[in-house]
Amino acid sequence: MTQPLLSVRGLQRRFGGITAVKGANLDLCEGELLSVIGPNGAGKTTLFNLISGHDRPDGGTVRFGGVEVTGSTPERLAALGLARTFQHGRVFANLTVRDNVLMGTHSRMKLARPGPPLLGALRELFLALIRPPGVRAEEQALRREVEDILHLFGDRLIPRLDRPAYSLSYANRRRLEIARALALRPRLLMLDEPTAGMNETETAEMRTIIGQLKARGQTILLIEHKLDLVMQLSDRVIAMDDGAEIAAGTPAAVRHDPAVVEAYLGHRHMGGEQTPDAVALEASP
Amino acid sequence: MSEGGSRGDLLELSGIDTFYGPAQVHFAMNLEVRRGQIVCLLGGNASGKSTTMKVILGLVKPRAGTVRFDGQDITGLSTPAIIARGIGSVPEARRLFGAMTVRENLLMGAYTRRDRAEVNHDYDRMLGLFPRVAQRINNRAGTLSGGEQQMVAMARALMGRPRLICMDEPTMGLSPLYVDRVLELIAAINKEGVSVFMVEQNASLALQIAHHGYVLRTGVIALSGPAGELARDPRIRDAYLGGERTAA
Amino acid sequence: MGAWLDYTINGLIVGNIYALLAVGLALIFGVSHLINFAQGSIYTAGAFIGWTCAQRLGTPLPVTMAAVVLGCAALGVVIERVGLRPLAGSARIAPLLATIGISFVLDQGLQLLYSPDPRSLPSPLPAWRIQVGRGTIGALDILIAATGLVSAAVLFGFLRFSRLGWAVRATAQDSEAARQMGVNTDAVNRTVFAIAAGLGGLSGLLVGMYYNHIDTAMSFQATLKGVVAQVIGGMGNVPGAIAGSLLLGLTESYGVALFGSSYRNLFAFVLLLIVLVLRPNGLFAGRQAMSPEPLTGTFIAPSRPWDVPRWAVAVCVLLAALLPFLPNSAYALQVLTNAWLYALLAISLTLVAGTLGQVSLGHAGLLLIGAYASALLALDSGLPVWLSIPAAGFVTAALGTALTWPAFRLRSHYVSIATLGIGEIVGLVILNWESLTHGPMGVTGVPPLTAGTVELDSPQASYWVALAVLVLLGLMQSRLLGTHLGRTFRAIRDDDVAARACGVSLDRYKGLAFAVSGFAAGISGAISAHLYSYINNETFTSQVSVLALTMVILGGMGNVLGAVIGAVALTGLPEVFRFTAEYRQLIYGLVLLLMIRFRPQGILGTA
Repeated sequence: MTQPLLSVRGLQRRFGGITAVKGANLDLCEGELLSVIGPNGAGKTTLFNLISGHDRPDGGTVRFGGVEVTGSTPERLAALGLARTFQHGRVFANLTVRDNVLMGTHSRMKLARPGPPLLGALRELFLALIRPPGVRAEEQALRREVEDILHLFGDRLIPRLDRPAYSLSYANRRRLEIARALALRPRLLMLDEPTAGMNETETAEMRTIIGQLKARGQTILLIEHKLDLVMQLSDRVIAMDDGAEIAAGTPAAVRHDPAVVEAYLGHRHMGGEQTPDAVALEASP
Repeated sequence: MSEGGSRGDLLELSGIDTFYGPAQVHFAMNLEVRRGQIVCLLGGNASGKSTTMKVILGLVKPRAGTVRFDGQDITGLSTPAIIARGIGSVPEARRLFGAMTVRENLLMGAYTRRDRAEVNHDYDRMLGLFPRVAQRINNRAGTLSGGEQQMVAMARALMGRPRLICMDEPTMGLSPLYVDRVLELIAAINKEGVSVFMVEQNASLALQIAHHGYVLRTGVIALSGPAGELARDPRIRDAYLGGERTAA
Repeated sequence: MGAWLDYTINGLIVGNIYALLAVGLALIFGVSHLINFAQGSIYTAGAFIGWTCAQRLGTPLPVTMAAVVLGCAALGVVIERVGLRPLAGSARIAPLLATIGISFVLDQGLQLLYSPDPRSLPSPLPAWRIQVGRGTIGALDILIAATGLVSAAVLFGFLRFSRLGWAVRATAQDSEAARQMGVNTDAVNRTVFAIAAGLGGLSGLLVGMYYNHIDTAMSFQATLKGVVAQVIGGMGNVPGAIAGSLLLGLTESYGVALFGSSYRNLFAFVLLLIVLVLRPNGLFAGRQAMSPEPLTGTFIAPSRPWDVPRWAVAVCVLLAALLPFLPNSAYALQVLTNAWLYALLAISLTLVAGTLGQVSLGHAGLLLIGAYASALLALDSGLPVWLSIPAAGFVTAALGTALTWPAFRLRSHYVSIATLGIGEIVGLVILNWESLTHGPMGVTGVPPLTAGTVELDSPQASYWVALAVLVLLGLMQSRLLGTHLGRTFRAIRDDDVAARACGVSLDRYKGLAFAVSGFAAGISGAISAHLYSYINNETFTSQVSVLALTMVILGGMGNVLGAVIGAVALTGLPEVFRFTAEYRQLIYGLVLLLMIRFRPQGILGTA
């Protein structure tokens, strides 16, 4: 097998006295969909933040695309082709749908956004003022692409192109966030609970969309609580509890793993896997 | 307060719709807590469990539906007013006042009470009920271990002499030893006549001590019944981990 | 060495006074996460209540002190109820701006009541001084020290042993948990405001007696000192506020001893900046990350801006350009020239405060840089005025961005405090850098506007120059906002975490926005300098910064046209109605308060 796109080794993060992530390891290959599951407080989102540069690890390494990126800034990781969404949804509320998605193309603008820090910034300002044809053409091309991306979500967002994001429904905001991430043309797409707050129909729709992305060959790292969806979409699943991995493997294997069942349901088996007598016995003082 | 004449329900939620921003959390939820019972509300992540407790305490106002406590509508009341009617709260992650001493935390629990002598009596009673708390009484609450903090949070809630005590994930993050101790204490509190409403992810634990259970799944009560029956129901597993048939 | 002892004593006494201010600020911040910019006005109110009692009613000192504490506490309760409680649930910066509005209203109310003339407030205490080593301590020093100690002790007792005090502490630590214990957090807020105001008023009375001088313009400096002391000690940290105050008092006192009294404030603000940048949680907190405040950094109400058609704007510009041809328009021209210059400042501020979401309170500093740069380039380097003005724009852009750089990593109200400090520092550096800036003498004989050999010093010419520059820079800014730059600035404002996830380097775009903003503000300051012909370090004070912010909020944050309308409304309308200066300030304060409360999106809407 070729070198993995994302490779995490021994990642650690402590907050005060609590270790939120205790030595996480994972490998993700091109075109793969890997899900991270686990109960509340298991450390999934912290792990996401550490990978995407929104938080700095206390130990361990992250390699992305063959480059060591441990402790890099989110903007550098975005430039390298890593896009993510956030647990509670973070769209630019006062920007239109179109501008939100255009923000996703930021790191891909070549002509309008020349390189080095100081002089490049001044040139960027100058170019924005005079708007030479090349810069205009680039912007036009990106704008066309925005509509292509939004077509993925059927007629959910296209009719609302020029509406501000704050006027969208919650589900549409989540879709918009994914569209913005896709606009980066990411090598790795990280989705943090993309169906949170969605009803059954919307969840099914999102499942189809993620399935389409996967079919296109998009590499995806997914955190999701709706385990039906995880089981259907994932190539592999990692289960975390209390900051550490407790099981890993195919969806079916992880789902039946005793450690996973225990993490979700409690440290005594539940749901018909135990005789009624035993439950009654445990219930008596 | 006389219990005669009123129905068996101490707490009754009916037709609750709540929203978190534009996202709907509860869909016409109904739930009851009978006098003298322990009722647990179970469910996986993001099922709306914690929000249910916030609705009862008036921290989240439902967009539709009513909350009745002891026969009276408390839906629109402020949190302090609801607490003053006899509901105690053990919040998620305990939420102690970390820079205050354990003693101060306990007495904050009696904030709405004016009967000073009785408060002192209850304070001594709590120290008897929670010997571990008594040992740390002059420590800052923030320096206690998770299990000790849970004890303090429970004692603090009891200091208000509630008729109903609401607990949000009382066993979360505790070591197995403390988990058992906390469950014993909940049962003991209940024996003294306090009704308990408890939100839990850990179904097997909660159903050990509860009389009645509800399972919440994405804002809808998916299952409910006496605790013993619920514990044997195979569907509870699907409610958490997804149905077998869909995991193709 | 005796002098040093005196300086130490003086530092501690002044520190005690700051502590009375800062403790209240810390209590309020602890409970409601609000920086109360009206604290200085309460301090002034305390001084005047004390003056009324002592000088008019002839009350003995203890009665005077009691009256001050009670009067100011009542004022605090009113402020909390009227100004702040209705804003619960708005962006955090909203109540902060409301307290600025309240401070304008209070200050001007006092000025109308008592006139702006300073008054003496003699201490009724005996005039003896005790020799301590080689220094001396007077009765008033002892009173101030005792007041500080007794207040601290009473406050400690209240927080530690009373039921309400416990509720205050519990609310400060976790207000939601406190409510779940049955604590009425509104009552807690009210109590805290009453305590803060009582102590603040007492502080004003003591300062008035200490310097035997009170006037209605002393509020702003008092607020600043209290805020600085609190930032040093850690926001919301009550013992920290006391320690920070004493440290600030000593730093200032020693600074004055070493360099002279004009350096007093410079030390205070440099200390503020150092603490904000290196230890934003204060000197006494563990080194930890600042708590993230997603989506609270800006005062942006969701709204769609009014789409004003281009032809309408063009018609307005044309009409404005034709105005000098009307007969008897000299007075209107003068007023509107001033309005165009304010509008330049407002479009500059609306770019950073509105579009970028960094609510700067330091724009007066940019005006000063522009004014001095152009004046000195023209006078001392002999540059022609038509070159010195754009040069001043570039100097301001560069210097302003470099000075604001340390604040780029801050968020929300920390940005406002830092920029306020930076603005003050600019004024103080100008005051003290005599070899370059002529120091407190100011710059006289700044040459009038010229273009090549054409003199432009007639009212008509000045008017056209100001209007033309405004139109040009306004168009430029609008053009920029239509590109990816405008999009990126707004994205940073709405959610800087998500912006970074899109690959946006915050420093780069904040730098660009501040550079563009600095350019416009610098040009505005430069033109003003050539029109005024005399400038000094107080030509543009922080009050101008606040006024500019009021214009921006009135017009709609981030809205270029709105900024112009806000500027014209707030400089022009008072002239039309011939309001005197005091009433004008009162109107500014009321406008700010009412807009925040009832139309936070401004007239034309946020853009």
